[in-house]
Amino acid sequence: MIPIEYYLVLGAILFAIGAYGAMTKSNAIVVLMCIELMLNAANINFVAFGAFTTDIMGQVFVIMSISVAAAEVAVGIAILLNAYKMRKTTELDDEQLRTLRW
Amino acid sequence: MDMTAIFGDYTAIAPMLILIVGALILPGIQLLSKNRTATWAVALVLVIASIAVNAMLIAEEFTGKAFDLYTYDAYTGLMVLIFQVVLFLGVLVSNASIETTRLHVGAYYALLLGATTGMMFVAGSMDLVSIFIGVELTSISSYALVSLKRKDSRAAEAAVKYVIIGGMSTALTIYGISMLYGLTGTTVINDIAAQTQLTGMNWMFAIALVSMIAGYGFKIAAVPFHMWAPDVYEGASTPVSMFLATGSKKMGLGVFFQIFLIMFVSGTACSAIAGPEVQYLFAIIAAFTMTVGNVVAIAQNNIKRMLAYSSIAQAGYILIVMAVMSEYALAGGLFHMFTHVFMKGGAFLIVGALICAGIGEKISDYRGLAKRAPFLAFAMMLFLFSLAGIPPLAGFTSKFFLFSSAIGSLDGVTSQWVWLAFIAILNSAISLYYYARVVKAMYVEKGTSTEKVSIPAPFMVAIVICVVAVIVLGVYPQIVFDLCEAAAAAMFA
Repeated sequence: MIPIEYYLVLGAILFAIGAYGAMTKSNAIVVLMCIELMLNAANINFVAFGAFTTDIMGQVFVIMSISVAAAEVAVGIAILLNAYKMRKTTELDDEQLRTLRW
Repeated sequence: MDMTAIFGDYTAIAPMLILIVGALILPGIQLLSKNRTATWAVALVLVIASIAVNAMLIAEEFTGKAFDLYTYDAYTGLMVLIFQVVLFLGVLVSNASIETTRLHVGAYYALLLGATTGMMFVAGSMDLVSIFIGVELTSISSYALVSLKRKDSRAAEAAVKYVIIGGMSTALTIYGISMLYGLTGTTVINDIAAQTQLTGMNWMFAIALVSMIAGYGFKIAAVPFHMWAPDVYEGASTPVSMFLATGSKKMGLGVFFQIFLIMFVSGTACSAIAGPEVQYLFAIIAAFTMTVGNVVAIAQNNIKRMLAYSSIAQAGYILIVMAVMSEYALAGGLFHMFTHVFMKGGAFLIVGALICAGIGEKISDYRGLAKRAPFLAFAMMLFLFSLAGIPPLAGFTSKFFLFSSAIGSLDGVTSQWVWLAFIAILNSAISLYYYARVVKAMYVEKGTSTEKVSIPAPFMVAIVICVVAVIVLGVYPQIVFDLCEAAAAAMFA
């Protein structure tokens, strides 16, 4: 059986890649994809912990979290579409948006 | 009236059920009636019904559970009441405001009601799953609410920023929750508190703590996670800004109370899980949040941005509760949250009303307002002075309770948080500077126009409610402070 540390390290690497991408990428769609990576890192943790403790709560939480992430991305894409109609770009760091970058 | 006879097992979630039903039927009502005012009236009636049910539950001191996920006690009752008041003010003015959407009225009210339902569920959750779902319900509805002001590039950009930062905060939070779940094997907060006493501090707990504080710190716009708030509040339509600044921020603070206060206080062996260090962490976050909020607010020329920074500072004051972690502090914090609804909500409502009357968002647009709209200028002055903490207004009383909890415990021993109270009082003085600037523009400086300003009637009603609340709560704080003390006692029981 694969030790639980392997899953946790995989999750941590995914989370780090996602966080790095979300903070450095300038395209809003790519940033949303990176956020999805971060969410899935947490899901891997949940499934691994749930499987190792034979507790059902981990799997339940993953189902909740996947549906929440789907809703969030749906709303996020709609908002990006709305902004795209206005500005004709999904880049976050063009001149108008420079003040909006954190 | 006995509420359990009507709602049975669902009594604990009865106020939410009314709003959920409302959120589901309102788009249909708009579709069938094609009448904005009819939809608005139905939404308003449902909100009032929900407030009435909750008021009766508070009056009969109801306590109960639903589905083992949700509990209703004095704390939940008070928080739900706060969110309902915010929703009531928001819905009341939405039909009259020229900023709120004319295209998707049904969706607009459904989203407002849905967001509030999420906040209410968070207030009663005893499980990380339901807290997570409640926070997300509120957040996702808020993203959509901000972007509903279409054809406006500021709103579109604010919504993009909000959804991206909100998504990152969700990811951080859920990663922290997964670590906490792995450490303790449960998602029930009381069981987690009991388990962490046994396991003590270790690297998993540290990761969980840091990522959850950061994740929920985004929601309350605590420094250094505050950058989204001014853009979003400026970009959104003013009723929505009011709703977000007074409502969704309180939800984040409620999450802090429910997760961390229970984890560190109810579990008595505080030292096993580094309680004092975490208290210091919160004290530093609180000090930075109030200072940055107030100092940056000085430089703002847009009144909505100024109010946004001031609401960052107010969140900093309330975070004092997390540093002090005492029952009295929690009562003071809850009372400040209650008064904040009326003073900040009232100020945003005046801004919204003046936008309807054709007056802009710049502070320079407010010149000579005292001549053009004497009552509005006077009400704005009351709200701003209340936010700054001038007696005898509500803001003074609630700040007094909050700061005095940091200075000393009830048995006369001076606590270690005197420096925090000192910083908070210094900040109140700084804040007076930029509030007084608006008052000076309204009363002293001469405006270009002298014609009288008339605002829609619903705005007037909402502003009068806020004015009365700000004065009455300042003079007779005991009406609500008793509720706050009962709520704090229920939390620490």
